[in-house]
Amino acid sequence: MGQTATEKILSRAVGRTVRAGELIYPEPDLVTVHDWYTVNVHDALAELGVNRMKHPERVLICTDHEPLAVSRQAAERQARVRWVARTHEVGHFFDAGRGGHGHVFPMEMGLVRPGMFVFAYDPHVTNYGAVGCLGIALVVEIVEVLACGSAWVIVPETVRVNLTGALRPGVSIRDVAQRLIADLDPDVVDYTVVEFGGPALASIDIDRRITLVNTPLEIGAKSALAEIDETARAWFEARGIDHSQAVMSDADAPFRQVIDFDLGLVEPQVAQPPTPDQVCGISDVIGRPVHHAFIGSCASSSLADLRDAARILSGRRVSPSVRMIITPGSNEIARQAAQEGLIEVFMQAGVMVSAPGCGPCAGGRIAPLAAGETSINTGTRNDPGRLGARDADIYLASPLTVAASAVAGCIADPRDFLQE
Amino acid sequence: MDWLFRGRCWKFGDNVGIDGDMAPLELAISRETRLEVLREVFMAGIDPDFPRKVQAGDLIVAGKRFAQGNPHIQGLLAARAHGVGVVVESIPRGSFRNAISAGVPILPRCEGVCALAESGDELEVDFASGRFRNLTRNFERQFQPLPAMLLDIIALGGYKEALRRRLAAMDAAR
Repeated sequence: MGQTATEKILSRAVGRTVRAGELIYPEPDLVTVHDWYTVNVHDALAELGVNRMKHPERVLICTDHEPLAVSRQAAERQARVRWVARTHEVGHFFDAGRGGHGHVFPMEMGLVRPGMFVFAYDPHVTNYGAVGCLGIALVVEIVEVLACGSAWVIVPETVRVNLTGALRPGVSIRDVAQRLIADLDPDVVDYTVVEFGGPALASIDIDRRITLVNTPLEIGAKSALAEIDETARAWFEARGIDHSQAVMSDADAPFRQVIDFDLGLVEPQVAQPPTPDQVCGISDVIGRPVHHAFIGSCASSSLADLRDAARILSGRRVSPSVRMIITPGSNEIARQAAQEGLIEVFMQAGVMVSAPGCGPCAGGRIAPLAAGETSINTGTRNDPGRLGARDADIYLASPLTVAASAVAGCIADPRDFLQE
Repeated sequence: MDWLFRGRCWKFGDNVGIDGDMAPLELAISRETRLEVLREVFMAGIDPDFPRKVQAGDLIVAGKRFAQGNPHIQGLLAARAHGVGVVVESIPRGSFRNAISAGVPILPRCEGVCALAESGDELEVDFASGRFRNLTRNFERQFQPLPAMLLDIIALGGYKEALRRRLAAMDAAR
């Protein structure tokens, strides 16, 4: 019987052939920790009497949840993160303003590559699946990996999603990603890797694949992967990124379930409060007033997402009743957006462009909501209080829908703007 | 550690919430980990008297998605504080990991177990072998037990102590 891509990646990480269901202690190629949790990690290691990480050269620390410190406390934390990175001599330290979002820039830079295995503190490490790298989050147990070089994992089964058809105008992969997690059965997805393939994958570039692999964890997936195909290989080769370790699931690999999903059946989707899988078609919520709009987060901060925003915002103004923030995912994305003239479009529309990183999605540390306000944004979560006030409503949607809503001052269908 | 638990069944349905049902969200947000604090609130979101009724060795039997929600560890530390075992139809991945971390004996995938017992039944569960016996109704079933390595972590009382042991073994091997 064949192996899934996940089984192959984890087999390499333990040096023998493994199957779904086995308990293993895989050695990661990279370990990622973000922002102030770095300090907690250091303190936990110190409490255990560990002065040196097992493989500091494989550790990536980045400052992305609050790159522009907006309080004295945050500045002190950043200083402490710098001290920890220096003290432990970590191999990859990206201070404020140096990389951008830790779930985005390592793929651009080739630090994260096909076939690699990454252990992380933060759950949205599943993003690396966009380039065929398996990322698994351990939250606090990342301390064990840093101290001992590994931690236990049960090799996950795989749910295969075969994408077919083509997107209709005004619909984006963000809409597909949201519809998918509403349609998939959480009991089937639980503790699996959701693997995307099928004939339509070729039409989805790496920028959009990031969005696709970002969402399944919200309904309990362990991680997500996009199959490495010609589209992906062309992307690696254009950037000089090694893809020789890329793996694919075998044709006879044992999937927990195989699902076909037709992109052509999707219309613009909106996730309603209080969870990302409370998804409806846009017609159900159209016209609801919004006060706050945001495009960014690890799910939707690529150049493709910013281009979508510019398609709507070009020659238009954000409604006087809305404040809008756009956060490019990385320094490189921001640079390219500037070069293409996207930043100028945003500025003329009355948008605030913030430092590359998580933007408001990181708990509303910047640009939060006041009580009674409503936001529509491309963040990952819409739990009450995610963006500040608990008494505030958060809707999640595509960059096209968020931009259209920002202009309209209420939830709006982007197709109405693209036809004009 | 003795893996044979014999005690009363406390049965819950599907979707028992980690926050609110098993322990108050406030204690998750304040990162409370003291067992003596958490034992006073275990399952109080469903039954305020529960912390005074449940006894060590009792068995929590529940349906699908036990401990669902944002994977906070507090409700599982509260289970550990009472010394109960957990037998469920399913448990989301984050809470499964937290159950091991908290040192709670668990059978995580027992399809149909809710139909096999009622609250108040006398149960006997062997967490090492996966044998589930309902002594009141006089039958037994076999479920998949945890891998031995996870039983070892639970026997040590959870993740922190297991990590200390692992580090000590690494030091000794140097």
